Amino acid sequence: MKNNKIAIIFFLIKLILGITFVYAGYHKVTDPAGFAKILYGYAIFPGFSINILAISIPFIELIAGFCLIFNILSRPALLLVNTLLLIFILMIGFNLLRGHQFDCGCFSFSSHPQTLSNIYLLIRDLLLLLSGIYLWMKTKTGALR
Amino acid sequence: MTLKETKGTFFLIFFALATAFFYNHFSPFGIALFGQWQTSNGVVNAISKTDLVNASIEINNPEIIRRIIQEKKRIVLDVRPLEFYEEGHLPGALPFPLMEFDTVIDKLLEMTDQQSPILIYCSGFECMDSHNVATNLENMRFTNVKVYPGGFRQWQEMGHDIEKNEK
Repeated sequence: MKNNKIAIIFFLIKLILGITFVYAGYHKVTDPAGFAKILYGYAIFPGFSINILAISIPFIELIAGFCLIFNILSRPALLLVNTLLLIFILMIGFNLLRGHQFDCGCFSFSSHPQTLSNIYLLIRDLLLLLSGIYLWMKTKTGALR
Repeated sequence: MTLKETKGTFFLIFFALATAFFYNHFSPFGIALFGQWQTSNGVVNAISKTDLVNASIEINNPEIIRRIIQEKKRIVLDVRPLEFYEEGHLPGALPFPLMEFDTVIDKLLEMTDQQSPILIYCSGFECMDSHNVATNLENMRFTNVKVYPGGFRQWQEMGHDIEKNEK
């Protein structure tokens, strides 16, 4: 009975992370130019890397998300998701700390960046990362397939 | 982390990158591998297949822009939304919101002809609305259209005069 509950929790975490990443990746895939401008707005990346990141990141999000949802290479996909979340948190946190106004571009491309909504996004990403780390720690190698 | 998981991770990264660059190459929304992200070269953009940026019509020199404004050498169009125009704009600029192009173009044609020199600006280097309007005007056979890529933000940052509350 207890094992069933844990399995359901694991399944739900994977589903939430998977859907979140597929959704986040999808709208970036449909507008890479917009996402590239968002990356430029972070004022972190050197110019030569912006387009390459704007092309690559959405597909890493999409594929990792699909893998989590459909249980294909789940632990590698979870590792990618956790790594991306950690990078997003560091980027958003860094810009909030230095007071740099930016649009996170997580789900939609807004023309009016808001500090409050970015704090909300930081908290949301932290919660997602904690869920991802929990899943990684609690599932032994091979438990997630 | 096992060797199998490490291999799986690298496989996913490789598969994602291969798919990403393949898709980008054939997608109608694809972008160049390297964009234009230097403000010294004008409006910043990813150089996508759908972009309308024409760097050759940009005047990316604030001093030349200041002289144009001072000497009223060109009709200056502010293509930002009207509320931003009313909060402040370049001296002598006319409101020409991109979203109301079909309405304001008639007014422009009433007051000038297609040979008149025109200067367009929007909010700054990240804004491509001025290029959208420039392309529309050129399609309507306007022959002397220029874009100020630094836009209102650069003008303001340089401490030049700003007009306010004019409709």
